[in-house]
Formats: sequence, C-alpha cells, structure tokens
Amino acid sequence: MKIASLAALAAAFLVSGSIAGHATDRGGVMTYGRYADSLFLDPVLNDANVDIWILSNIYDTLLLPTDDGQGVQAGLATEWKVSDDGMTVTLKLRQGIRFSDGSPITPDDVIWSLKRAAKPDNGIWGFLVSAIKDITGAADGTIVITLNRADPSIIPALSVFNTAIMPQKLFEAMPGATDADKAKAFAEHPVGSGPFMFASWERGATMKLVKNPYYWAMGDDGKPLPYLDGVTFEVIPDDATRILRMQSGELDGAEFIPYARVAELKAAAGIDMQLYPSTKIEYVTLNVRPQVEGKDNPLSNPKVRQALNYATNKEAIIQIVTMGVGTPMKSFMSSATPLNSGKGPLYPFDLAKAKALMTEAGYPNGFPINLLVLAGNQDETGIGTALQQMWAAVGVKLELQQVDNASRTDLYRTGKFSMRLGAWTDDIADPSEITSYFAYSPTIESQHSGWKSAEADKLFEATQGERDPAKRAAQYAKIQDIHNADGPMVFLYESPYPVALSKKVKGFIQIPLGNNIFRATSLTK
Amino acid sequence: MSLFFLRRLLQLIPTFMFILVVVFVLVRLLPGDPTSAILGDRAKDADVARINHDLGLDRSIPVQFLLFLKSVATGDLGTSIQLKLPVTSLIAQRLPVTVMLTVMSALMAVAMAVPLAFVAALRRDDAADSVIRGAFQVGLSMPVFYLGLILLTVFGARLGWFPVGGYGDGFLDHLYHLFLPAFSLALSLAAILMRNLRASIIGVVGAEYVVFARSKGIAPRVILLRHVLRSALISTVALFGLSIGTLLGGAVITETVFAIPGAGRLMIDSIYGRDYPVVQGMTMALAVLVSLTFFLTDIVAAWLDPRVAR
Repeated sequence: MKIASLAALAAAFLVSGSIAGHATDRGGVMTYGRYADSLFLDPVLNDANVDIWILSNIYDTLLLPTDDGQGVQAGLATEWKVSDDGMTVTLKLRQGIRFSDGSPITPDDVIWSLKRAAKPDNGIWGFLVSAIKDITGAADGTIVITLNRADPSIIPALSVFNTAIMPQKLFEAMPGATDADKAKAFAEHPVGSGPFMFASWERGATMKLVKNPYYWAMGDDGKPLPYLDGVTFEVIPDDATRILRMQSGELDGAEFIPYARVAELKAAAGIDMQLYPSTKIEYVTLNVRPQVEGKDNPLSNPKVRQALNYATNKEAIIQIVTMGVGTPMKSFMSSATPLNSGKGPLYPFDLAKAKALMTEAGYPNGFPINLLVLAGNQDETGIGTALQQMWAAVGVKLELQQVDNASRTDLYRTGKFSMRLGAWTDDIADPSEITSYFAYSPTIESQHSGWKSAEADKLFEATQGERDPAKRAAQYAKIQDIHNADGPMVFLYESPYPVALSKKVKGFIQIPLGNNIFRATSLTK
Repeated sequence: MSLFFLRRLLQLIPTFMFILVVVFVLVRLLPGDPTSAILGDRAKDADVARINHDLGLDRSIPVQFLLFLKSVATGDLGTSIQLKLPVTSLIAQRLPVTVMLTVMSALMAVAMAVPLAFVAALRRDDAADSVIRGAFQVGLSMPVFYLGLILLTVFGARLGWFPVGGYGDGFLDHLYHLFLPAFSLALSLAAILMRNLRASIIGVVGAEYVVFARSKGIAPRVILLRHVLRSALISTVALFGLSIGTLLGGAVITETVFAIPGAGRLMIDSIYGRDYPVVQGMTMALAVLVSLTFFLTDIVAAWLDPRVAR
C-alpha cells in the first residue's frame, strides 16, 4: 500500500512536471542574424525597412497589427471607437502603463507623439496620418483624435510604426535645437514602451535589446511578457555566413534566407525553416509615357503591356527565382493586403494571345527595349534573364541594364527608364498606401510610370472618406480592375519572408507587413 | 636622412589636397544622390526637395566644396546622412577594426613568407621548393571570399575552433575573431611576398660579396641574416608597402564574408547610399593610412639601403 501510494505520488509529480514542461519557458537571450544593420531608430524620421521591421520591439503603438497583418488589436490603448460621422476617434489608454525607464505614459506623451508623426515635413510617413487635425487627452486616459476628413484608414494607421508613443520630456531634454537634432541624440539610446528596451548598439555588428520590466502584456503563465531576457541582433550581410552561423548553432534565427537554400534548411536537423506570409510583391514597372527620352514608346500602348503580361510565364519565374515558394499575383496588391479583390492569377501564360496582341498593337515583330536591373542582385538578374528569353518569343529584344540602387532610383524618379524591376511591401494593414503609390497618379505618377486613369484617381479620392465598408471594398475592387487591365505593370509573383529558426524558438513571427515580433517569443530549455 | 624624412612628409600635403578634391568631385559625379538612396522608390518630389535642402545639396557644387573645406579645416568631417552620426566618430569606430585586420594579416603574411622564401630559395627546385610554391599558388589564385567561406565552414562551423564570423567583445576576443579573416587575407599577400623574396634571395646568394663572405669562413647563418636578408628585403619591402593598399581593398570583401564591422563595409554601404560625408571622410582617413604606410616603408627602405635617402 505504502509503495503504491509512493508510486502514485511519483506519478503525480511526473504529471505535474510534464504539465510545467508545456508552459512557455522563460529566460534566455535570442540571437538573431540580420542581413543589414539598422540606420536610425526614430519612428517618425526613419526611412528604411531595416529600422521599421524591428522598431515595434522597442516602441509601442496605441494599437498593434494582428499577426495576419489584416487588422488591429489592443496596444497601449484598450478601447477605440470611431464616431458615427467618422470625424472623431476616441481611445482609452491602458491603466498604469510605463516607458521602459519607469516613467508613466501620460496622455501628453500620446498627444505630442501623434502630433509629431502627423506634422507635415517631418519625415516621409506623415501622409499615413494626414487626416489628424487635433488631439486632446484627459487625465483618465481618454484620448480624442479629431480628423479633418473621415479617414477609414485611421485605425490601422494607429498601429503603424510612425505613430509610436515616445516619452516627450525625455525627447525634449535631448541636446540640439531642432526636432531632427534631438531625434539624432534620442535615437542613439531610444526609450519606448515596447516589450524590449534598447541596451547597446555596436554599429554594423551587434544591437542588444533587453526585456522591458514595465511591459504591460501578460504571458500564458500570468506574468508579464516578454518571455525572453533579451534579443541580440547580429549583422551578417553575407547570406552564406549567416546560414553557416545558423547551422553551427551560434544563431537562434536568421532572416532573408535565399530561396535557393530553403529546401536544404527545411531538411536540416534542429532548424525550423519558416516561410511567413508577406505583403511582398515583385513586378516590372513600365514607363507608359508616349515618348521616353525623345523616342516613341511602344509601352504606351495598353495592348503591348497586356501582351508582355501574357508572354510572361510566371510559374516558370517562380520556379527559377523563388524555387517554387512564390505564388502568382492576383492583383497589383498582395493577397495579404486587406480588400484585395483578385479572383485568380492575372494573365496566365498564353503565348498565342500575346502574339495576337502584339500584332494588333502594330508590333508583329516586336521591338528592342531595356530593363533596369539592380547590379549584383541574384533574384533580379534571374528574373531579367528569364524575361529576356520569354519575351524573345514575341520579338521583344530585352536588354538588361545593370545599375546600383541610387542610380536606378534617380533614373526612375526622373522618368528616364523604359522598364524596371521593383518590389514592394505594405507598411499599414490597409490598401490605401499601395493604391496611392500604384494607381493614384498625384502621389508619384503611379510608380513614376506616367500612367493616369481619371477614373482610378476619382475612385481613390472617394475611398479616402468612405465610411461604408462595403462601398469602400467595391471602390477598391474597381480600382484594381482598372489597374490590372491596362496598368503600367508586368505582374510577377508574391513571395513569403524566409526565416530560419532554431527548433528551440517558439512564438516568433514576422507579420505580413514585415515587422519582426519577439514579444511572445521563447527559447525552449 | 632627416632631410629625406622632412621631404617625404611635406610631399604628403599636396597628396592629401589632391585626394580631397578628387573624392569630393567623384562622389558627386555618380548618378543618383543621397536623397534618392535614402528615401528610395517611395520618395515624393516634395520630400526629396525638402531633404535636399536640409542637407545643403541644393547649393552649387563650388559652394558645397568651400563649406566642406571650411569644416575640414576645423576638424569637422560632417555628419553621416544615413547613420546620422558624426563622420569622425564613425571613423574612430570603424577604422581601428580594419587597421587591426590589416596589421594582423600583414604580420601573418610576413611570418609565412620570410622563412618559407628562405627554404624555397636555398632548396631551389627540390621538393620543398615545389611544395611551398605550389601551395602559395593555390592561395594566390583563390578568391578571398571563397577561401573565407571554406575557412569558416571547416574551422568555424565543422571543427568549432574559431567563431563563424563576427568581431567579439574585448581585445583578445577581437584577435580570436579576426584570426580566420586575417589568415584568408594574408595568404595571397604571403604568396606574392614569398615569390618576390625567393627570387631576390636567389639573386643575392650568388652575388660576389656573399661568395667572398663565405670564403672568409663566416658562419652561414650570419651570412644569411646580415648579408643576404638585408639586401634581398629591399624590393620586398617596397612591394609590401604597395600591397597594403590592396590589403585594405581586400578587407571590404573579407569584412562582408566574416561579418566584421570595419571601415571597408562602411565604405561600400556609404558609396551605395551616396553618403557623401562618410565617403569623403573615410577616403581621407584611408588615404592618410596608406600614405603613412608608404612613408614608413620608405623609411625602412632607406634604412636597408641608405642610397634610397640620397
């Protein structure tokens, strides 16, 4: 009897032990290999993905993007409501929230941060919150944002990095006369209220974040997140070296694994090769102006653009460049972008149709043209070479012009290009950003292509104040139909974010907008 | 000799001035500007104009050059457009890393080249000579990034003797992290130095004064060190000085493969980013470094062969 009860007791211990084993492990520092270092950790004044994609670990926003990148969830604000006329947003701040230095987050910090983000001429992201007219706050944590127009994208905008809440007093105490000068000093040792706080940064090599003891969100064990004691970013620009460090166990995670290595890492023991759904699209932008640098431009004919789309074997490019992990595009916006109305892959490969369209357009024998390709970029060279062969079938003699990024941007912005390869990821869980750049001509002439559709422009302006979700969806569907039918683009593919993780890593995610989210990440012991 | 010192030092001043002008102009001749590079494809015309104005890039090139000269004269090399840090502090952070890498690889190259050149020269055309020359030929023909990856795979990932890239914390850890990258850089330099020194030694060993010394019964070791090495080194030292520039160039690739936060990588990133102040400042710093190396090699050459100083 005694032995039996001891055995029962032992069994009970084992059971409870195994239950405890299922709870998320706490502690440990996750080492994450990045392809490039951050540049400037100011939420408003930054301009690169290397900053944007990690900012949310240091800075918190009123709302947070959901893991699928399609909506928002509570952040520093627990409640949010848009008034019936769409002109006011009322939010309720979470009680007892603090910055990582222990100072309380006040309504004044919120007002100041949002005004700074919305100020025109302050950084390049102000357009996302250009609808903000004024902000007021009450001591009980009520924040009221009044708008100058009923902007349906204002709620997702409050989850975008540039609306991060910063400590006003600390920022203003920084040396320097202007906001830009103070930002330089502040961004050297930023303080926010994200799950981690900045600890140290050796430029070009290592950035260390440690757990923010004041973070508000709770883990599954009822204690505050994050589970990790810290995250260390190691900058390893060379893909092969980054993978080697992953394989040798020196890294717990590594971003931007080349597609060519995905299958190998999927098969590797101890490595969890993830392909996170993204808003990333690859495409060719076509200059559709009647003349380019004084010469008649065949791409100004919509039939030629359609012919090139039909002559492009997307499946083959997906196999060649992404080793099969990409998917064909259904619209100019990614499948992960809200209100994407694409039904099926656009322009399925059809050489006969392509040839017929070229003949109809008056180019039965094709024409010579060149494509700007980023020098040294394997993917772009791969796509360019494939297009060269594919388009030769309709007589288009494609010349690849290799340029570096700054030169390409310059040619692109000044309209001195015929075609260029491009990639895009959304920054906001809303179709307005990509649509304003791709289909609304006043922003940057539809990707500097010179394409203009009066109807698309009118529809986009209508979406900006449309409060009826069904009507807004219909407007966006119509814009997509117009753009997809004769827009300035050859559609290539959508591709996921390839991230290699150690099998010890749980709860990490890179959301479709690109943000690397470590707040609920843990290392299994 | 001291006049020679002074003359060489004074020659450095116009050299620096020339480099200053050339770099300032060349970097601006590249298509694209910092604003295009920073803001990328999404930049709107108004943003571009505003940032160009903030950076002073909307002024004429001569005005920009005068302002640049004025700030250089006060020791201010400007602020990085991309990193928003003073260029002087970037140089202070990054240059020592590259210097350490270069010095380590130079020392390794010398440590490999000198003894092996003696062995190869004194056992000319026998098995040892062939093996040494053959091995170095492989080192010389292999691209640094490829050699680097092999070293990382074998000695880093497989055997675990060395870290797989990175720079480490603290001086000793830096040395440990820099061993493989320095070695991969050193190999090709060692090959060049070894071949040159071997040929010189073969030439000197047959010289009449060496034959005379030998006939006087002087110990062979003394002959080698005092008579042969000193003469044979003259051309090798000059070659070594010239190779330092190449070594610094090779550091760019090595720093990328081995994930070392050195000046080479910063330079490449800054050129791609059209970060004018950093490109200007770093080029100046590297030019000073290379000129100092040339200066030192000249001094050593003058010591080895006093005729040089005349």
